Amino acid sequence: MIREELIKKSPLRTFEASVHGMTAAGKLGVVAAPKGVGKTACLVQLAIDRLLQQKAIIHVSYASRVDYILTWYEDIYQELARSLGLEFDRDIYEEVVKHRVVMNFSQEGMRTDHVLPSLEAMMVHGKPGVETVIVDGYNFIDSPAQDLQKFKDFAWRMRKEVWISASLRGEEPLFDERGRPRELERYLEAIDILVTLRYHDRRVWLHVVKDMDYPPAGELGISLDPATLLMARL
Amino acid sequence: MAQDVTRWRNIGISAHIDSGKTTLTERILFYCKRIHRMHEVKGKDGVGATMDSMELEKERGITISSAATNVSWLDHRINIIDTPGHVDFTIEVERALRVLDGAILVLCSVGGVQSQTATVDRQLKRYQVPCLAFINKLDRVGADPFKVRAQIEEKLGRKAVLLQIPIGLEDELRGIIDLISMEAVYFDGPQGEIIRREAIPASLQLDAQRWHEAMVDAISLYSDELTEALLAGHEPESLLIEAVRKGTISQSITPVLMGSAYKNKGIQPLLDAVVRFLPHPGEVVHWAYSAHEPDRRIQLVADAKADPVAFAFKLEDGPFGQLTHLRVYQGRIRRGDELYNPRALRMFRVGRLVKMHADSMEDIEEAQAGDIAALFGVECQSGDTFSKPGHPVLMSNIHVPEPVISLAIFPSDTKSSHNLAKALQRFTKEDPTFRSFIDPESKQTIIQGMGELHLDVYIERMKREYQVILETGQPQVAYRESISRRADFDYVHKKQTGGAGQFGRVIGRLEPLTEKVYEFVNAVKGGRIPREYIPACDKGFQAALKKGRLLGFPVVGVRVVLTDGQFHPVDSSDLAFQAAAQGAFWQAYEKAAPLILEPIMKVSVEGPAEFAGPILASINKRRGTIVSSAEDGMFIRVEAEVPLSEMFGYSTILRSITQGKGEFTMEFLKYDRVPTFMAERLIAQGQRSPER
Repeated sequence: MIREELIKKSPLRTFEASVHGMTAAGKLGVVAAPKGVGKTACLVQLAIDRLLQQKAIIHVSYASRVDYILTWYEDIYQELARSLGLEFDRDIYEEVVKHRVVMNFSQEGMRTDHVLPSLEAMMVHGKPGVETVIVDGYNFIDSPAQDLQKFKDFAWRMRKEVWISASLRGEEPLFDERGRPRELERYLEAIDILVTLRYHDRRVWLHVVKDMDYPPAGELGISLDPATLLMARL
Repeated sequence: MAQDVTRWRNIGISAHIDSGKTTLTERILFYCKRIHRMHEVKGKDGVGATMDSMELEKERGITISSAATNVSWLDHRINIIDTPGHVDFTIEVERALRVLDGAILVLCSVGGVQSQTATVDRQLKRYQVPCLAFINKLDRVGADPFKVRAQIEEKLGRKAVLLQIPIGLEDELRGIIDLISMEAVYFDGPQGEIIRREAIPASLQLDAQRWHEAMVDAISLYSDELTEALLAGHEPESLLIEAVRKGTISQSITPVLMGSAYKNKGIQPLLDAVVRFLPHPGEVVHWAYSAHEPDRRIQLVADAKADPVAFAFKLEDGPFGQLTHLRVYQGRIRRGDELYNPRALRMFRVGRLVKMHADSMEDIEEAQAGDIAALFGVECQSGDTFSKPGHPVLMSNIHVPEPVISLAIFPSDTKSSHNLAKALQRFTKEDPTFRSFIDPESKQTIIQGMGELHLDVYIERMKREYQVILETGQPQVAYRESISRRADFDYVHKKQTGGAGQFGRVIGRLEPLTEKVYEFVNAVKGGRIPREYIPACDKGFQAALKKGRLLGFPVVGVRVVLTDGQFHPVDSSDLAFQAAAQGAFWQAYEKAAPLILEPIMKVSVEGPAEFAGPILASINKRRGTIVSSAEDGMFIRVEAEVPLSEMFGYSTILRSITQGKGEFTMEFLKYDRVPTFMAERLIAQGQRSPER
């Protein structure tokens, strides 16, 4: 019951209705925002949404430790359950995250040429049936421009949905007149869907600023609750 | 006469297997003049390291039983418990840690933090044991103590503060730089016994200064006096030492020392550090509980004049009878004293009291608070507390996990049978995770333990130490049965065979229960079953739980709610209601969708990253769920949850798929439902429980 409720009521349904073919396999999406605005929370909600639909996911991180990522999932899931007035049930939660694999690359400056073969080994040998890959914390802004293209090629070749977070840290103004992050200009070609998180009116709002070759939907009316970082439709 | 407890240290040496801790212990014993010759672990000189007291340990090059010994350094007495490195023997590590005030965490300068290091680290944290890290094997090719320091921070989450840096590495290793005194330290003489302190070589001046500043920066938080002195432009060595000591005891920092035990470098400064930075028994707070009021917590004081309290942390059966290793937490224990064991409700007199040194021992007259000693001839169990008669207290018991694997063993002849009984009696007393019993149906002897290697080692010991000739069956997983839905019962037990009959009727339901093994709820109203028969009903249900109907394994996770019933004024009895309860259970069990549960192990596999594919595939093939993987460029570590039944023989498989470079550890995690296809297969195979 909890699964159906959480899937049905997720703001991601609005998101999916507002962009073209996002859930289609083989596409690359990027969530861009400055540090601490809520990129990880967004990506973890997206991952949990897929897990609730009993789709396997891989969460790639570049953190020093794995446990804090696991905590993110538990916290966000608890908040989601609470938002529906449901008690947190560890058994159900563990059943949900059973189809998640966290892959952590701890060495500073781990190259994409190294990460992608490992990711492929995991998909082929370790966790067949993965449909979505979440990549959080990768510093591709300081990496060669072709790195993002490699992720896109990977998504296409493996027919998977790949989402990457991009941490913006340039100087103001961060965004151009179309709402696109200036720092990502040279990567736009490789990105199918580009979502930015922007703070105004005391909340963080999701904007779709690139939607393949379609006119982007712009602000979606979905924002992050400042206390729980959960996405909500307003 | 009371001794100065501030000059005592109780320490353990914990580490990953093969990180060289036995060699390190050997060197410590040598420099403290406990032994007069050094040996190597693998017994190249045919003798074997002193701490490896069992022949088998000598052959395998690993330490299985914790051996206790005490040494003297800088006018301090150091009690050392050598702890084993393999997860299968974790109970040993846990028991040792329970009684320690400090520890040395040994790491390999090449391998760094490995999965077993993380397990040991978690145990140190669980028992809040302050520790020093010692990065060993600086002489090895690929040694990188700075990388290992970073791993201690990243993987173990400790604030690692370097107190030394190396002078040269690998075959260029010449000595270390002491970042507190800012001197170069060399280890001369054929066995590194002569310490030479000199000025830091010019080429390392800058590095030393940088790491010294990093150290001062990290430790100044723990001493206001040091901060004041620093602001005034001074840096007294005594304040630096005091600050490191405070940071270590509060477990805020982990001082990092380094060297090569094999090359006799860095051991004496490590001993200095044990004395300087680890706490004495009086600085660690310990608690006990009143045996009369279990909720009343009593703080123990390391005072020789107080009432005695001691904790038995290890039993060994030796040629002179049972040897009980204990730690005295309060008061003192003297030969001839009378002590009380509240668990056994028994008084006993202290006979022979000894201090242990690996295989040899010395007789002592008394042991006082803070000391580790051993008693002869006391009937007790591991985990018992001894206190003054009339003031019984209990120290919280060590957590003992349930065994997850069993094996049938068949002695070949009467002599072996006889010896086997002796061996089993000894091993089961020494190690609470190792159990044995005779299967009443097959009459086979069954042994149970925490993993394949755990049982292997005991079988080897039976053969060697007791000359038992035996064969073994296939390892058997300790399955459990449970129910998955509510089911009602209404059962009448009625028997009339002349004379007094038997009558009892019970009505109620079974419900699945996740958080407990069993719960009995009496919801009978209006005396439909008289109160005196309710315990008999409970007993009947519990008896039924002992053996499920699918495979014959114990049934867990059941709540029984008794709602109604009927009795007969003449024919009802305890026995009749017990029989009714058992009948009712089986009546409802079939309807409650019974299922089989299997032990799931938390498995951690490590190997070179180039073998990621085969390693991942090997887990996937074993019905494993991969939880995470971590790569640092060279190595991959995969954490997974895998059913125990799929892990038999995995060490051989892993070796072959990683060209011998992979290794794994596993420990029990939880019980989980066996997939339907497997359950059907198990039932069809007639898999039968060898459990009691």
